Amino acid sequence: MPRAEKEANVILAKLGVGMLCVTVTAGSVALSEGLVHVRVHEKAPNGTHLSLVVPGVLAPAALFCIPQRHLQQASEQLRPWMPAIQAAVDELKDEQDMTFVEVVQGEQHVRVSKSGGAVVVDVDDPRETVHVSTPLRAIGSTLEELASKSDQPIAQ
Amino acid sequence: MKINQRTAVALAMAAIVAAVLLVAGMGRARAANAPDRYLHVRVDGATAGEKACVNVPLSLAEKVLPAINHGDMHGGKVKLGNLHTGDIDVHAILEAVRSSPDNEFVTVQQADQDVRVAKSGDNLVIHVRSKDAGKEKKSQQVDVTVPLSIVDAVLKNTVDNEIDLNAVLRALENGGENFLVDVQDSDQTVRVWVDGKNDPN
Repeated sequence: MPRAEKEANVILAKLGVGMLCVTVTAGSVALSEGLVHVRVHEKAPNGTHLSLVVPGVLAPAALFCIPQRHLQQASEQLRPWMPAIQAAVDELKDEQDMTFVEVVQGEQHVRVSKSGGAVVVDVDDPRETVHVSTPLRAIGSTLEELASKSDQPIAQ
Repeated sequence: MKINQRTAVALAMAAIVAAVLLVAGMGRARAANAPDRYLHVRVDGATAGEKACVNVPLSLAEKVLPAINHGDMHGGKVKLGNLHTGDIDVHAILEAVRSSPDNEFVTVQQADQDVRVAKSGDNLVIHVRSKDAGKEKKSQQVDVTVPLSIVDAVLKNTVDNEIDLNAVLRALENGGENFLVDVQDSDQTVRVWVDGKNDPN
């Protein structure tokens, strides 16, 4: 094999290893807070069927896309409850899987539970079925980010 | 085989670290195996199948309550309204109730309701029966069983109109198996209890 070709192969191999490292690192960061699952199934004919899987790490980042003025009030209301929420999130991580709230009324069924490291909300009514699973770590960091919004001046 | 001094010190250090990790691990395992208690609230509606259930691990409540500093709640304590017992020594009364044999202490019979307060074992039992009085007031049945240890915890930890909820939670965790509130009327049944199961169904 000519020397130039050999060198090119070495450079390509290094690039490949570099790309692999970047991909693995990006994947690890993206999955570090788990995945948010949202599933909506409208029961009507031609109804919407939506299934969304988003890395939890993007949830706090999504708050940057919402105008500050819309977050200010929510942030102020949330702030006094943050220590309690953080304590609950920390404690829930060690709890066994269980159902916290279950409501059955008529044909409506709502359940809030903990499954694995995520809080799961299931709603089933005659019109639609909704399933939202949010990792606890993502809940903690998102609410922390939201609570910190009341510090910042409102952009005019 | 000869072991030099440096190797002997390293082996001894490794043995100490292993022992510490083992003891710490055993401690954690014991903590993990400690039975958790759950507070359950279940409301059953008049229509078949209609229900609402709330299940809260007491350990979770114990961690969250001290972190709430809002309104009348501060550091796991809640401020009540004016709770004047005047010159009545409620602790002495409780002690007298505790040491007395099982007995019915209060019986009130009125036109629209009967109230009965009794001691049964280590529990204080309260029964209220409201009678049907037309459209305005429907019949209602309230049964409350409270272990005396919990009554004691409430009384001991109520200072300046403030109840230490964490102390009450600890009492529920230690001896809350008999705690029960059961309210029944024509529209719904409400039941509050504590047990070691995370699934009340």
